[in-house]
Amino acid sequence: MMERDTKIKILLIEDDPVITEFLRTGLKYEGYDVVSFDNGIQGLDSLNRNEFDLVILDIVLPDIDGFEICRRIRAMGQEVPILMLTVKKEISDRVKGLDSGADDYLTKPFSFEELVARIRALLRRSGRIGQGKMLNAAGVVLDPSTRHVRIHGRNIELTPTEFGLLELFMRHPYRVFTRETLLNRVLGYDFDGGTNVIDVHISHLRKKLGDRPARLIRTVYGVGYSFQPGDDAT
Amino acid sequence: MKAVLGLSLKARLSLLYAVLLILSVVIVGFCSYWNVWQLFINNKSAHLRARAKPIIAHWLTDYGLVSVEHPASKLTSETAAILARDLTSKQSSAIILDNTGKIIAKGKRLPEEPDAPPPELGQFKKAMSGENEVTYFANLNGTSLLVMLIPLRPRPGSPKVFGVVQLSTGLREINRMLFRHGAMLMAIVALILILGTVAGYWLIGMSLRDLQGLVKTCNAISSGDFSKRVSVNTTQGEIGRLATSFNQMISQLESIFASQQRFVANAAHELLTPLTGLKGCVEVLLRGAQDDPATTSRLLKAMYREVNRLIRLCEQLLGISRLEGSSHVHRQDVVVSEFFADFMPQARLLANDDRLVLRQGPYARISVDPDLLKQVLFNLLSNALRHSPDDTPIEITWRLLPDFVEIQVRDHGEGMDATTLSHVFEPFYKGRSHTCSYKRSGLGLSLAKSMINAHGGTIKVESAPGKGTIVSFTIPLSSN
Repeated sequence: MMERDTKIKILLIEDDPVITEFLRTGLKYEGYDVVSFDNGIQGLDSLNRNEFDLVILDIVLPDIDGFEICRRIRAMGQEVPILMLTVKKEISDRVKGLDSGADDYLTKPFSFEELVARIRALLRRSGRIGQGKMLNAAGVVLDPSTRHVRIHGRNIELTPTEFGLLELFMRHPYRVFTRETLLNRVLGYDFDGGTNVIDVHISHLRKKLGDRPARLIRTVYGVGYSFQPGDDAT
Repeated sequence: MKAVLGLSLKARLSLLYAVLLILSVVIVGFCSYWNVWQLFINNKSAHLRARAKPIIAHWLTDYGLVSVEHPASKLTSETAAILARDLTSKQSSAIILDNTGKIIAKGKRLPEEPDAPPPELGQFKKAMSGENEVTYFANLNGTSLLVMLIPLRPRPGSPKVFGVVQLSTGLREINRMLFRHGAMLMAIVALILILGTVAGYWLIGMSLRDLQGLVKTCNAISSGDFSKRVSVNTTQGEIGRLATSFNQMISQLESIFASQQRFVANAAHELLTPLTGLKGCVEVLLRGAQDDPATTSRLLKAMYREVNRLIRLCEQLLGISRLEGSSHVHRQDVVVSEFFADFMPQARLLANDDRLVLRQGPYARISVDPDLLKQVLFNLLSNALRHSPDDTPIEITWRLLPDFVEIQVRDHGEGMDATTLSHVFEPFYKGRSHTCSYKRSGLGLSLAKSMINAHGGTIKVESAPGKGTIVSFTIPLSSN
């Protein structure tokens, strides 16, 4: 599998400015490069001139609708995975979407988390990112598909929360996460407890990793935590 | 009374029917009984008189009482006794009275012959004064008797009455027959009542069965099944007509209900897009974007716009539902030219001064809610502004029609095709347009239509691609 050194590029065609806004911000935050257009013509034009790894497409657009854009993309011979956004729940619409060449669809209002999961699945299926790709850093090997974690060849057992934290850290090395963000992303938005729950989970995780105090998972005082694999390479 | 009112319709109808039946049968029975009794009495008295007449006539000639100067002097106990005896039989007995009312002879000899009642003075005087048919009832030792008085005259038609024959007969025979008749009548009445009540109950049940079907269907419909209809054997008759009207009403309701459901589905659909935006922003913030102040501010502003859009949409939806009943239309008499004098400066805030052109029409007073009329015009003008180039005029005119004023808003913009035209009043329909569809709710024209309809007017759109659009609507003229 070819490893890309550049970021995954996503083309977003959506005419609602607020949806565009949060998709751009959210996806950028997830580490994707997002280019967005509010009409089909410009979107198709951009797709012609640049290479994208994924297209997110709204069905209702001011000029040409999503189905038509889908057909044109396929007619151009592009294999890029297409994710459709629709407000219509009718089966016939989904079938129409899939028939016109879309790979997946989401009905509005969708959960951003689900959108990210579907994007990841689409990219994996299309081979844009490695199938069941292992996350490997500083002697820690994490397999998202089997949920196995090994450290220097030794298997360790993690709780789902600890696994979630470690996966998030390893996917975004060096990024500083606030306790609030970690809480929301690992325990869910509905979790209604103090952020020091995260401190407890982090300390358990450190112990299991045999991490020397605050080396791999480093405490950023007054902010939160950050995964620093490079420093451990010594 | 309360107990009766609490009964079912069927029981109440049956009860009423039975009471009427009893009343009519009893009246008929009583009349019949009275008639028969009358008939018997008349028959009896006629019979007695018919028997007495020849005997008296004979007696008069035999004893030389005919054409005598003073027949009273000739009436003696002896002659009277003979007449009395002749007139007496097992069924009847006779006594003879002279012109003073004294009994001068009694006919009863044998014990099986009935006793004669003592004469009554009042009745006697009537007979003495020349009345021929004096008949009355008397009571002697517990038996009722029919008594007849026959005045004695020298010859038929003579005014001279010199004595009176009193014939009396027992009514036992008649009474026995009447009793038998009465008993038979009672039996018949009882039979009629029983049969009539049973048949009536059955008949009422039959005719109410369709009503019961109606009730069953009503119950099914009230539990939400609008597909049910009342099935009746006939469309004639009150119940048939009721069922027909009922079915029509349900069909009407069903279609209203369906259009309501469609409207609600469309409205919910329309709310979903802004909600998607809101949800997504919140999610992205929670997932970590809140750690960056610039991103947070950008997302919050987007959310603020989205919330405003939701509020606007809800207000429009409320506006439509409020106009469903016309109670929110506050009509007043308005002179059209004065209305526009007030409206145009406000409208010019929307557009360039030279784009809006008002062409004055004839003088007219209309009955309208000016606030609603303004809303309609604002809607139409913003449509026109959106769909026509900046350098083309938008014209407003009005003209008189019988009973109405027609107001017209005309643009010289892109126009629309027949498909779009046919859907233009549907709520949430936006058509295909190059302008950002997210800004519009697709409710403007259907709101305008609701407002115009609430006034009793109509609205229509004429357009062709590239030819511009003319929207005309009517408002009723003021009645005074």
